[in-house]
Amino acid sequence: MANVRYFLAIIMTTLALNAGAHNVIGGVYAIGSTIEGEIGFSNGDMAPEGTEVIVFDHLGNELGRVKTDADGLFAFDASKRVEHFFYANLSSGHVVEMSLPADQLPASLAGDDAQAGSVKQSEYAASTNTDSIDQTQLKSMIEAAVAKQVKPLRQELTAYKEKAGLQDVIGGIGYIFGLCGLGIWWRQRQKDKQDKSDAAIS
Amino acid sequence: MHIVDGALSVPVLVTGAVLTIAGVAMGLKKMDYDHLPQVGVLSAAFFIASYIHLPIGFSSVHLILNGLIGLALGWAAFPALLVALFLQAVFFGFGGFVVLGVNTLNIALPAVMMYYLCRHGVSSSSANVAAIWGAIGGAGAIVMTTLMVALSLMLSGEAFALAAKATFIAHIPVMIIEGFVTAAAVLLIRQVKPEFLGIDEERAYG
Repeated sequence: MANVRYFLAIIMTTLALNAGAHNVIGGVYAIGSTIEGEIGFSNGDMAPEGTEVIVFDHLGNELGRVKTDADGLFAFDASKRVEHFFYANLSSGHVVEMSLPADQLPASLAGDDAQAGSVKQSEYAASTNTDSIDQTQLKSMIEAAVAKQVKPLRQELTAYKEKAGLQDVIGGIGYIFGLCGLGIWWRQRQKDKQDKSDAAIS
Repeated sequence: MHIVDGALSVPVLVTGAVLTIAGVAMGLKKMDYDHLPQVGVLSAAFFIASYIHLPIGFSSVHLILNGLIGLALGWAAFPALLVALFLQAVFFGFGGFVVLGVNTLNIALPAVMMYYLCRHGVSSSSANVAAIWGAIGGAGAIVMTTLMVALSLMLSGEAFALAAKATFIAHIPVMIIEGFVTAAAVLLIRQVKPEFLGIDEERAYG
C-alpha cells in the first residue's frame, strides 16, 4: 500500500512538471511605459514560476532580465522607445520569442529619435503649460484603462491563433491518404509497365 | 517531443536533417509497397495522436505512438513520421520546418530501435510474452526519444543532465500510458491482423 502511495505521489509531482509537446505561446502588451507579458503552453498551463525572460532591443543588446510570477506573468519597465524582444527558454526545447513594436510605447520615452521626441515634447509643454500635468496624468490613466480592457481580447486572440480546428485535422489526414494514393498509383504504373514489357518479351 | 525552431544550433540541425534523409531513403528502399496503406494509416494515427491531449489530473499528455509505429513498420517509420511531422508543423504549428530533420530523427530512430529489439518478442507464441514486449517497445521508444531530445539540446548548449531530467520526468506518464497502449495494440493486432507485425510468415514456418 505504501508503495502504491509512493508511486502515485511520483506521478502527481511529475504531472505538475509535464509540458509534453505543447506549443509555447505568449504575448506582450504595453501599459504606459511598463511592458506586461505572459508565457504559457497552448494547453492552458502557464510558465513555471521564476522562468527567466531576457529582454533585448532591436540591435540585440540585452536590456534586462525579468522573472515570471506564479501565473506566468512578467513586467518590464521600458526606458527606451525602441522595439523590445523577449526571449524565454522553458527547457525541453520549448523556447518562445516575442516582440513589442516601439510605437506601442508612449512617446514620452527617449527613443532612437530622441531629439525629435524631445522637441515634440517641449512644444507640447509650451502650448499646454498650465494643465500639462493633468494632461499627462490623464493620458496614462487612459492608457492603463484601455490596456486593461484590451488585455483579455489579446489573450483570446493569441489562444485562437494557436488553436487548430477540425478542418486542420481532416486536412492533414487527407494529405496523408492522398500521398498514399499517389504512392500506390505510382507503384501500380511501375507494375503495369513491367507486366507489359514482360509480355512483350514472351 | 517537438523541439521548436530557434532552440537548436546549426550543426545539430544539419546533422539531424542529413541523418533523417538517410533514414527516409533507407525506409523507402526497405518498404514493402504492398503495405503502403498501413504506412499511411499509422502516419495519420501519429498525426492525430499529438493533437489529442488526454487530461490527467491538472495537466494533459498526448500519445506519441512511435513504439507501435516502429514495431509495425520498421524502417518505413522514417517516411511515415516525416510526413506526419511536416503536416503537424503546417497545420498545428508543432515544432517547425527548420527542426523537422532533428524531430523526425528523434522520434523515428527509437521506433526503428524498438523494431529490432522487440520484433521477435511480439511475435512470440505466448500472448503474455508478446504483450510484455509490446509494452517494452511502447515505453522504450519514449525513453529513447526523451534521451535523444536531451542530447539534441545538450549539443546546442544546454546541460545534458538538466535537459534530460526535465524531459524524462515530464514524460514518465506518457511512458506508462504508451506501454499499456502498445501492449493492447499488439494483442489486438495479433488477433485480427497478424501480418501487420510480420508474424504471419513466421507462424507459417513455425
